[in-house]
Amino acid sequence: MTDMDRNDGTTRDELVQRIALMEAMIAEGRQSTGRAGWIFVMWGVLYFAATGWVCYLPLRNWAWPVCMTTGMVVLASWQSRQRRAGAVRGPKSQTISAVWWTTGLAVSLFAVFGGITRHGEHTFALYLAAIVFFIGLAHAISAAILQWTMQGMVAAVWWGGGIAILFAPSPVAMLKIFLTATFFGQIVFGLYAMSLQRQRAVAERVMRHG
Amino acid sequence: MGEGLPELDPVVHGKVRLAVLSLLLTVEEAEFTWLREKTGSTDGNLGAQMLKLEEAGYVAMEKRFAGRKPQTVYRMTAKGREALAGYVAALKRLLGGAL
Repeated sequence: MTDMDRNDGTTRDELVQRIALMEAMIAEGRQSTGRAGWIFVMWGVLYFAATGWVCYLPLRNWAWPVCMTTGMVVLASWQSRQRRAGAVRGPKSQTISAVWWTTGLAVSLFAVFGGITRHGEHTFALYLAAIVFFIGLAHAISAAILQWTMQGMVAAVWWGGGIAILFAPSPVAMLKIFLTATFFGQIVFGLYAMSLQRQRAVAERVMRHG
Repeated sequence: MGEGLPELDPVVHGKVRLAVLSLLLTVEEAEFTWLREKTGSTDGNLGAQMLKLEEAGYVAMEKRFAGRKPQTVYRMTAKGREALAGYVAALKRLLGGAL
């Protein structure tokens, strides 16, 4: 027994375990985004794929529609499986999901029709910056709902990228800024969210098996 | 109980109950099955723990339907938040003295 041991049998180690348990469970509250870490990574990879296709492959007009549609189909399929598995969450999760779906739809419509009408080519800086600001806005709303500073910083990365695009000297420089924002704002952030999820999974196993 | 050491709320202190309160602290509301999955409890054990939390006034339960599927949904009450905050403060004092 140490000084910290209580006469009701609770030891210091048990108290520390309680804190670890609370931290793990509280982190679950951010699961709607944390669990979706792979989704951010997927979109980031798709942005890179679409950009690469536009730059280096034929039928470049198909690049964004195909990549965006692929992402949406994968996401809808995953969400459908989640619902069937009974993963019902609170209004926060539903709100965040709605924010991302509507933003994704708006970005896709804007990107596709901006491309079809060629307005996107004529005013490429505004076109690309608008898309970047859309994505940043979704991150910012999600961060505000979840009170998640890290995601707020990601929103700042996207918005900073949007501003930088407006000052960029050439379309190539604009694309580089977009891809940089994609790398940090989607892929790195997604991997970070996935690492949080893994930590929680470990904590859950500890909790279940002592 | 040691002299000068704060009391830990026994309702909050239970492992499953503490896990549930911590989960409910940030998710606004949660379905029974979701809580069961996250806490790794059985139906019976979690049901008993939720009843204790309800009796203490720390959580509120609502039965409703999502389509034709019945759902039992829990949310934390203001009293539950206060209890959890008090528990954390007591934990800090206990551990702070030993650090």
